[in-house]
Amino acid sequence: MVELSRPRQPFSYVVGPINFAAVFFLVWALWYVFMHPDGSMKLYTPMYGFSLVVMFLCAVVLLSKVWDFYPFAESTPGDSARIGRGILLTGVAFALMLILVYVIFREFIGRFGVAYFSPQSIVASGGTGAEPYNARENASTALIYFATAFLWWALAWNLGFGRWPWIGATRGVAAWSRTFAVLFFTIVTFVILFHPHVCYLFYPPQNKAGVEPWWSNFAGTGSAYFSLGLVLCSLAWVIISDLLWEGYPWKLLQRNGESTFWTGAATMVGTLILGGISFIVLLKIMNVYWMEPFEGGQYTDAPYFRYLHTGEIGGFVILAAFMLAIYFNNIPNALSLPLRAFVRTLIAVAGGLAIYWFYYSSASTLILGKVPGIAQPDDTPLVWTMLYLSVIMVQAEFFQNWPLPKPAR
Amino acid sequence: MDRRTFLKSMAATGVAASVTGTGGLLTERVQAAGKVDIGQVKSVKVDVLTETSWFDNDIFKKNLMDYGGAMTNQYTIPWEWNNAGGYSALITVTGLDGKERKFLMDTGWNNEWMDYIFTEKSNVASMLKSGEIEFMVQTHWHLDHFWGIESTLKHKPDITIYAPKTHYPEDIALLREKARHIAKDKEGKEVLICKNDVPHTGKLVECSPDGEKGEGIYRLMPGAAVRMFDVPILLRVRGENVLYFNVKDKGIVTVTGCCHPGVLSLFSYARSNFEGYKPYGCYGGLHITLFENWEPKFDDIIKGVKSFQLQKVGCNHCTGWVWAEKAAEAGIPVVKGTNKYKEYKKHSTVAKASNVFLTNGDSITF
Repeated sequence: MVELSRPRQPFSYVVGPINFAAVFFLVWALWYVFMHPDGSMKLYTPMYGFSLVVMFLCAVVLLSKVWDFYPFAESTPGDSARIGRGILLTGVAFALMLILVYVIFREFIGRFGVAYFSPQSIVASGGTGAEPYNARENASTALIYFATAFLWWALAWNLGFGRWPWIGATRGVAAWSRTFAVLFFTIVTFVILFHPHVCYLFYPPQNKAGVEPWWSNFAGTGSAYFSLGLVLCSLAWVIISDLLWEGYPWKLLQRNGESTFWTGAATMVGTLILGGISFIVLLKIMNVYWMEPFEGGQYTDAPYFRYLHTGEIGGFVILAAFMLAIYFNNIPNALSLPLRAFVRTLIAVAGGLAIYWFYYSSASTLILGKVPGIAQPDDTPLVWTMLYLSVIMVQAEFFQNWPLPKPAR
Repeated sequence: MDRRTFLKSMAATGVAASVTGTGGLLTERVQAAGKVDIGQVKSVKVDVLTETSWFDNDIFKKNLMDYGGAMTNQYTIPWEWNNAGGYSALITVTGLDGKERKFLMDTGWNNEWMDYIFTEKSNVASMLKSGEIEFMVQTHWHLDHFWGIESTLKHKPDITIYAPKTHYPEDIALLREKARHIAKDKEGKEVLICKNDVPHTGKLVECSPDGEKGEGIYRLMPGAAVRMFDVPILLRVRGENVLYFNVKDKGIVTVTGCCHPGVLSLFSYARSNFEGYKPYGCYGGLHITLFENWEPKFDDIIKGVKSFQLQKVGCNHCTGWVWAEKAAEAGIPVVKGTNKYKEYKKHSTVAKASNVFLTNGDSITF
């Protein structure tokens, strides 16, 4: 994750908030160009735009967390080269996103293997609903699920396993090895949690390729938003423990300052348990507020919306945690670790609620061009959240926080 | 006090407002603290004037795809005019006293198509002129339900209209003024997308979730009410009016334009808010497999409709043929249509021999 060692220069509590505001307006501008209904590109269909944003975030995470910037330098020698490095890596990430979406998934895997990753292959297969718009949305949905599984494993692996078991290996060997390890678990997760949903995006359902969503009987929905919510809630705890808890308590299992298998296992299990608890708590809160959902209900009555909404709330908290860490110097810093971790978590949760309020307020209607209200099937705050996170991560990882002080590595 | 009622009062304190910041939802919660009695009707008949809002799904979706997808403002898309049809139904209510009263639900899209429907395929035009059609319920502001307003107003410009208060300036301009709305295509060419030369001069009842007396509904006549659900909808539209009827000895019937809030949510609302609730049937677009696609959540709706034990399901329009067929196969009592639609000069490319839609020229009585 983002380096939290004390910066070499003192943090400016004037520049930090100004940077925070500048990034907000930058995200607004990007939204207007790429997503806004009255903007230029109008990619918020929503799944097509969602898939591009989340794949860009994957490219940023792949470069920074999985490859550890290999084959580029881990860091610049001084402050001066940060802008050039940032521009270069942002360009590489953007190119990587285009290659992943349009070449690897659409033209390679989608054409020669798994048809649902390619709109062209879906259209070519014919049948009910197999026209270009649906096909692009369905292929994008599959990509989003794959990307979600990847982000979970890449970030959790980075936090938990660190350089284990390739501690003595060269950067290239470690990068390739981590890539294969993360992809292996990503594929398994995708196949179990999301593939059944994608197979049932078609009529008739592709039930020889994927089982009927196995969670449908106890979840009250066949939608993989059930899995998506759970994964995003777990991912929120990965981010919180990395950014706000400074890697603890998982770090306690490290040996000689390096992660071990047990650090990784504890991180995965621990964040999954915390994610599961917050998933259930959020569902209970929604039940109190909106009453219990029922199978076949729509909007806020829909079980699939409730599950998705846990993930959306998790996304807001992740965003707030990043904002606190990058633009507000991860305050407070003077307290003992348990206390400062606790206070930071409270701030992040409060920040997440504030972002929630903003997203569903009339201000967001004006800024983002969304229809007022909640639970619209064609709107998910995850797209805006992921776009925002992408910009913050680009600044933190590629530009090494420029114009804020450079973190020590 | 049940949980929802308790929470509604909590919401009124503004506690929840700080969490959600969604005024519309809170308004919905504050009203309807007690159950309301909407009265009873003897029967309700729905004549399907036209349910073919567009004739070719692929063309409609291409327009949508080319100009930004489902979140785009409907007034900015140069829709293919020849593909436009419209959605409209004639409702005939027989009261407990045996008297029949009629009103119109929605007014379609393409003026040429709607004129054809109102004059050649029905006698709606003459019923509007004579006043036999008493008023119109505008379910929502979507193009296929509203942009054909001139076809109604040319016969009765002062008709009373019940419509969601969540309109945009373009909607009101089209209704109240001599308006011509233009959109630009990709080459920058201006395309006329809708017009109205006959401004509305009658009463506009702007419906909100509060209802007319704070009871959440607007009473049209004994046994018939409109409820406005303030939900966000695709193409930048917001809010839908839903018709509720309480049919004596049968139960609650919903009649919808598109049913964006979700058919089971409508019955859930009736269960919580109407005295003597008993589910019976529904008619309308049910907004499920709108574009003949599929998702696991559509299987959820089939299971849900079965659990609500509806006795009579009449569906068409945005329900999607694929959902209706699958629902019928699963044992849901889907009322079959006829082949009358083939007598119309245009029909939908997705119409099938299974006749699971009540389509143009069909009717259903509850």
